[in-house]
Amino acid sequence: MAAALSGANTLAPRRRRGNPSSGRGWRSPAYLFLLPGFAVFSLVMIYPTVQALIMSLEKWSPAPGVENTFVGLANYAKAFGDPIFWRAMANSGVYTAVTVPGQIVLGLICAVALNRALAGRTAFRIMVYIPVITSWVVVSVLFKYLFATDGGLVNWLLADATSLMDQGVDWYNGRWTAMVAICGLGIWKGVGWTMLIFLAALQAVPESLYEAACVDGAQGWQQFWHITLPSIRRTTLFITIMLVIGAFNVFVSVQLTTNGGPANLTQVPLTYLYRQAFNFLDFGYGSAIAFMLTALIFALSIGQYSLGSKSAQDAAA
Amino acid sequence: MRIKQKKLLVAAVRYMVLSVASLVSLTPLIYMFLTSLKENAFMLTSPADVVQGNKTFANYAEAWETGKLSLSFMNSLLVTVATTILVVLLGSMMAYALARFEFPGKSVFFALIILELMIPSIMLVIPQFVLAKDLHLLDNRLGLLLVYVGTNLAFNTFLMRGFFEGIPKELDEAMIIDGAGAWRRYTSLMLPLAKPALATAAIFSFLGAWDEYVWAMTIINDPAKRTLPVAIAMFSGAHSTNWGLTFAAACIALIPVLVVFFIFQRQLVGGITSGALKS
Amino acid sequence: MKSRRTIGIALAAISGLVAMAACSSPAPTQTSVSTPPSQSQPAGDATITYWHAYSADSQEITVLEKTVIPAFEAANPGVKVTSVPVPYDDLHQKLVTGIAGGELPDVVRSDIIWVPELANLGVLEPLDTAMGDFQAISQAVYPGPLATNKWKDHYYGLPLDTNTLVMLNNPAAFDKAGVKMPSTLKEFAGLADTFKAKDVALYADGNLNGWNVLPFIWSFGEDIVSPDVTKATGILHGPQSVAAIQALYALYRPGAIPAFVTQDGATDPADGFSQAKYATMMGGPWMYPILEGSFPDLKFEATMLPAGDGGSISVVGGEDIVMTSASKNKEAAAKFISYLLGEETQKEFAKIGQMPVLSSLAGDLTAIQPYYATFSEQLKTAKPRPATPAWTEMDTRLEAALQELFLGGGDVRKTLDSLAAEFDGLLAQYQ
Repeated sequence: MAAALSGANTLAPRRRRGNPSSGRGWRSPAYLFLLPGFAVFSLVMIYPTVQALIMSLEKWSPAPGVENTFVGLANYAKAFGDPIFWRAMANSGVYTAVTVPGQIVLGLICAVALNRALAGRTAFRIMVYIPVITSWVVVSVLFKYLFATDGGLVNWLLADATSLMDQGVDWYNGRWTAMVAICGLGIWKGVGWTMLIFLAALQAVPESLYEAACVDGAQGWQQFWHITLPSIRRTTLFITIMLVIGAFNVFVSVQLTTNGGPANLTQVPLTYLYRQAFNFLDFGYGSAIAFMLTALIFALSIGQYSLGSKSAQDAAA
Repeated sequence: MRIKQKKLLVAAVRYMVLSVASLVSLTPLIYMFLTSLKENAFMLTSPADVVQGNKTFANYAEAWETGKLSLSFMNSLLVTVATTILVVLLGSMMAYALARFEFPGKSVFFALIILELMIPSIMLVIPQFVLAKDLHLLDNRLGLLLVYVGTNLAFNTFLMRGFFEGIPKELDEAMIIDGAGAWRRYTSLMLPLAKPALATAAIFSFLGAWDEYVWAMTIINDPAKRTLPVAIAMFSGAHSTNWGLTFAAACIALIPVLVVFFIFQRQLVGGITSGALKS
Repeated sequence: MKSRRTIGIALAAISGLVAMAACSSPAPTQTSVSTPPSQSQPAGDATITYWHAYSADSQEITVLEKTVIPAFEAANPGVKVTSVPVPYDDLHQKLVTGIAGGELPDVVRSDIIWVPELANLGVLEPLDTAMGDFQAISQAVYPGPLATNKWKDHYYGLPLDTNTLVMLNNPAAFDKAGVKMPSTLKEFAGLADTFKAKDVALYADGNLNGWNVLPFIWSFGEDIVSPDVTKATGILHGPQSVAAIQALYALYRPGAIPAFVTQDGATDPADGFSQAKYATMMGGPWMYPILEGSFPDLKFEATMLPAGDGGSISVVGGEDIVMTSASKNKEAAAKFISYLLGEETQKEFAKIGQMPVLSSLAGDLTAIQPYYATFSEQLKTAKPRPATPAWTEMDTRLEAALQELFLGGGDVRKTLDSLAAEFDGLLAQYQ
């Protein structure tokens, strides 16, 4: 395969005269690079997605031998008229608005602190990263316990140990107090992830830029503001998009701590669609919710992407 | 003198930030570890209880024995290592194509990859199950590998593409003038320069496959083919969960991910030779 | 060079997997080639696959795989049983996915509330026609657990193990307040203030779903659906149901039932119960290892649920055993089911906390576990939750409606009115 790829491209430079994007058009070697990965990806992801999309247009039953009836956009219309669906969307919006900036700011602080040589740097890196590698199931159970009304660590700290409050908070009894616990878990679990990607990006910022800045008299904060941040703009955009996608897809932590309750107050799209599909066997409705969520995230990401690229251009100009 | 003081201050601030971050990161883990040393821990109890009670490693031995964790451990390791290698290899090839070439349909490819990141994967389980059945990959570790590669490709391709784009195009151009083909530019220019990106992708795909639960639980029946997350979930009953055993097994499961992180995080340091970028 | 090596490693790892795949189980098609689906093979030389959610902790899986299955295989030469443990929380999803993909085992140990749903999907074999000894067995088991297997005109399963909720009480709390555990709901509710004066809550629970609330409605003398499970109007909002919910609400308001009852299990009542912060909680037989393991010094007692106008009526829990209609080995599967319901097997499981369903074993139970006594007594009158595929959704709505009522205040009667109408709609889908 290596020979085929290089062979295909040795013709190109002659025609295109040294353009790195050589081999344009349908004969581009890019297709050969894409082929193996995209084949797997199409089979395992795209094909099932198409199936799920069809499911969302049907009254779909898992029962053997049952003909699934095509219902058009009925499942989507049902979501539009479902107040719990909208509350779930709003909750995931709140979760996104809280956890994404939280993870970015804290992750960046940790990455900057870890970027240069420091005694014990590897140990610190591992410790900050540890929440990322623990399983969602385990930490969700832990956080559920930490915020328990009676005997939970948080209430113990607030009421028993420090007397900041007369009595503990019923964290999981209210929409917003429960969201505090859920968002806290999201940030706690994600900081190491953003730290790691920021770190890789920071390591790629050429030392020469900082040296030049030093000569110009820029220091500390100014260096960070004028050199570090612009250099990692692309990474920040990437992280933001990924975190927004992840935040709207929040699932295990909510399912295991509140399960969307009480009274559906903390429902998020994934807990709600899971319940519709796997508990109530309404797979058509579950899929419709999934695709409406996808459409929303897609629109948001496109928006971020164009905003991000625009500000990158502004900065360059 | 003033510069020295300032340096000290900066170091002190860095240590403070990192100490607080580490403490907050570790507290729940310490709690989990201490609980894993308790016998008959069907309930999570107050911190005082956890710290004071008798400590024993009996849960580790019991989890290892009754959960047949050694077998699950090997299954997880095999599937995860294969997934990691394939994702880094196929993903970096795709990322290279998307970062360095213009070709018809590029934006479609890119959009599909991003789109798949956004779809709640739980809704794909049934179509994927039917697919695995048609391919005779049910109750088969190859079925795990195939889906793990597919699910981890999108994110890691996106990740690596970003890093590849950050590598100056002039380097490619120099190699093209020397007559190097696309494959050679990929293997001897991109891959060495993008080590931090490859290391990051390796860390994430390893973790992604190591921790995966729903798919493994869905298609694997034979206890001999179980992966670690499924084996750990077996300690939960309908009415109770033995947290001592569960957390002991979870602590064991952390070790390989820590080792992988430890090995690859070194690549993050100075992975890009400064000489190449200064040019 | 380096990338060659990487590719080499990748190929090696993949070929390792291929080899592992090749030498493991036969391809699924091999066993099914020559058998027409309607006809089952003779019991000789059959392999039956058994999905269950026995826990790897405790002795459940060990007893099944080391004692019960070998004994069955020895008694039935040629029949092999493959045990497939599935974590309880995921068994339902695995079943649903298996149904969609047409890949089900021969025999499943199912939660009792899933049987009508699975039967309605057409994936279960009616046992009253598939098993020759169904009549005999069905007469030997408790009627309450048996009723969970009925859907429309057939029985699609048999009860395998059972349990119910009784009232657990902490004597330390009762001593503190200087009172005794009463036997009626009226007296029970009347103790709320006495306990409150000693900073003890009367009764703690972590959930408001049917499992936790139905015992009160039943004991008050009402139900939530008609006996034929077709209607909720006229029943769910009947005077006694309303009174039952009002009674719970009246205890919840001043804290005699702690606030976390609306939290869907986020706070476990057992912790506060062990410290005598709560005088009572409901619990099943499984609470014994939990409480004894977590709080070795705790002394607690089990009594019947306090009785109301309807008596002391608890809820039936446990598991049923079902056979799939896709099974290629129905005869062998039927034999296995009969074996699981034999006295020997039931006794074996009784030793590790699985309550037998055979009424003939009632006398032996206390010799096996003294605490079974209260549960056996409570089981005599315990009722199953409505046997309908709609139950999961009904239960979810019931819980959400009660949570909303408790948290936000509101009119009990109105809440139950609208819930009854919703239930009617859900039930109508399956008639």
